[in-house]
Amino acid sequence: MALMSIENLSVERRLADASLEIDEGEVLGLIGPNGAGKSTLLSAITGLVAGSGRVLLRGEDLQRVDSLQKARQIALQPQFIESVWALSVHDIVSMGRLPWGDSDQAVIQAAMAQAKVTPFAGRHVNELSGGERARVWLARVLANQPLLMLVDEPVANLDIHYQQEVMQILRDYARAGHAVVIAIHDLSLAARYCDRLCLMDGGRIVKTDTVDAVLNDATLSPVFKVEVYVDLDNNPPVVLAR
Amino acid sequence: MERYLNPLLLLVAVVATMLSLASGTLELDVIPALGDWFSGSLTPQALIVGEIRLPRTLLALVVGAAMGMSGAALQGLLRNPLVDPGLIGASQGAALGAALVFYFNLFSGLGALATPIAGLIGAALTLFILMGLSGSMARPAIIIMAGLAISTLASALLAVVLNFAPNPYAMQELVFWLLGSVSNRGLDNLAVLLPAFALGSFMLLAQRRLLLGISLGEQVADSMGLEVTRRGRYIVLGTALLVGSSVAVAGNIGFVGLVVPHLLRPLVRYRPDRLLLPSALAGAIVVLLADILVRQLPPERELKLGVLTALVGAPFFVWLVWKERQRWL
Repeated sequence: MALMSIENLSVERRLADASLEIDEGEVLGLIGPNGAGKSTLLSAITGLVAGSGRVLLRGEDLQRVDSLQKARQIALQPQFIESVWALSVHDIVSMGRLPWGDSDQAVIQAAMAQAKVTPFAGRHVNELSGGERARVWLARVLANQPLLMLVDEPVANLDIHYQQEVMQILRDYARAGHAVVIAIHDLSLAARYCDRLCLMDGGRIVKTDTVDAVLNDATLSPVFKVEVYVDLDNNPPVVLAR
Repeated sequence: MERYLNPLLLLVAVVATMLSLASGTLELDVIPALGDWFSGSLTPQALIVGEIRLPRTLLALVVGAAMGMSGAALQGLLRNPLVDPGLIGASQGAALGAALVFYFNLFSGLGALATPIAGLIGAALTLFILMGLSGSMARPAIIIMAGLAISTLASALLAVVLNFAPNPYAMQELVFWLLGSVSNRGLDNLAVLLPAFALGSFMLLAQRRLLLGISLGEQVADSMGLEVTRRGRYIVLGTALLVGSSVAVAGNIGFVGLVVPHLLRPLVRYRPDRLLLPSALAGAIVVLLADILVRQLPPERELKLGVLTALVGAPFFVWLVWKERQRWL
C-alpha cells in the first residue's frame, strides 16, 4: 500500500483534479513552471488550503484526523520562512516538537546533527548566512519526525555545496522509512536526487513517472515552452534549457 | 539569567507593594497596620492602609499586569513589536461605556461601581461587534483592522458625549477619569476587575504554543497543527478582556502594554511564549511605581497616573519607531 494516496484533489482556480501516490522511502519531485500549482498542491495535501478530494495517509482519510495528530505525520516547509524574533537555532529546531507537545532533547539534538547546525545551536537565526539558515529550517522539520515531509524549494537560494547537502539530507530521511516531496525548479538536481517526478502545468498534473520518462525534451518542452537539453547518463545528470 | 527573571520580578513586585503601602502623607508602620485591618481592629492606621492604600496598590498591580501580559500576547500574535493592546478597540469601548454613565447617570444604584461596570459592558459590546465584523474565519490581521475601525467609531461617539456634556463638572469628571488613575477606588472595584483578569490571562497563557509557533509565520504555525484562526481568537478575546476591564476600572493607562514586553524580550531570549509572565509582573511593577511617584506630588496639583505613563512611554515609542525604521529600510 502506498504511504499516501491523493485522490482528485482540487482547489478552486489553482489546482484541478490532482491524483498521486507517494510510496514509503521515496523522494518525489514536483516540477513545472512558475504558477504550475506545486506550492498549492503541497498546501492542499496538508489541508491548509480548502479544497475537494481526498488525501489518505496509510489508508486513513486525513479530513478525519485532528490537526495536531496530522501535524505529527506530515510536516510542511514553505518556500519563504522568516523568524520575526531573534530566536536561537536551538529554539527554532525545538519548534519541530510543537505538534508532539514535548521537547525531546534526544530528537532535537539528532535533528541538529543531521542538518549540521549543532555548532551554532546557541546563535540567533537572523545572524546566520542563507545556507546555514536553510539547514536550520530543515532541522526543524527533521525534529518533527513526520512520516511525510513536504518541502517547497529548499535549495532555491543556496550555493552548489549547500544544495547537495540539503538534497542528501532529504534523501536520507526518505530512505529511513519516510517519504519526501520536494517542489523544485532545478531539474538537474531533481534528476539526481528524486526517485520519481510529477510534472505540473496550469494547476494540473501532466505526468507522474520515473525520472527517465519525465525528463526528456518531448515531455518538457511543451510545458516549459523552451527546448530542453537532457543528458541523464552524464554524472551528474544535466537538464538545461537550450 | 532567564531562570531567575520571574522570581526576581516577583521580589521587586513585593518590595514595590510594601513601598506603596507605606507611601502617603501619614507615616506609619505598614505590617502592624495591615495586621490590625485584617484582624478587624479598625485603628486609624489600619483604616488608611486597608481602605485607601491597599485597594489602590492592588488595582495598580492588577491593571499593570493586565496591560503587560496583553501587550506581550498581542505583539506575539501579530509578530510586531510596535503593537499596543489598545489597538483592538476594547479600551475605547470601555471608555465610551463609562462616559455614558457620566452623561446619563446610568446605574446610579450601583454607586461607585457604576463606572467600571458600564465600562465592562462597553468593552464587551465592542468585542461582540468586533467578532461579528471580522467573521468566523478571520486571520489576526483582519481582526486588528476591524478593531481599529471599531475603536475609531467608539472614539467618535465619545467625542459626541463630550461635546454634549450636560454640565462642565460632568465633563471635567469624565476627562479626568479618562486620563487614567487608580486613586479613590475601593476594594469592590477589584471584584469587577479580578474575574475578567483571571479569565483573560488564562486564555492567553493557554495559547503559549501558538505564540511560539507563529513566530515562523502563520503558514508554519498552521502546518504544525496550531490552528491560527481558532486559537488566535482566544488571544484577541483574552486581550480584550484584560484591556477592557482595566480601562473600565482605571481609565486609560497607556504605553505599558507596548513598552514593557519590548524591554523584557531580550531577557527571555526573544521567546514569545515565555514573555507573558514576566511582562505581567513587570507591568504590575511599572504601574505601581508610577502610582507611587504620582502620590509624591502635591495633592492640589494631582498628576494622573495615565498621564505619567504616557509622558514616559510616548518618547520611548518614538525611539522604538526610530530604531525599528532601520529594519524596514
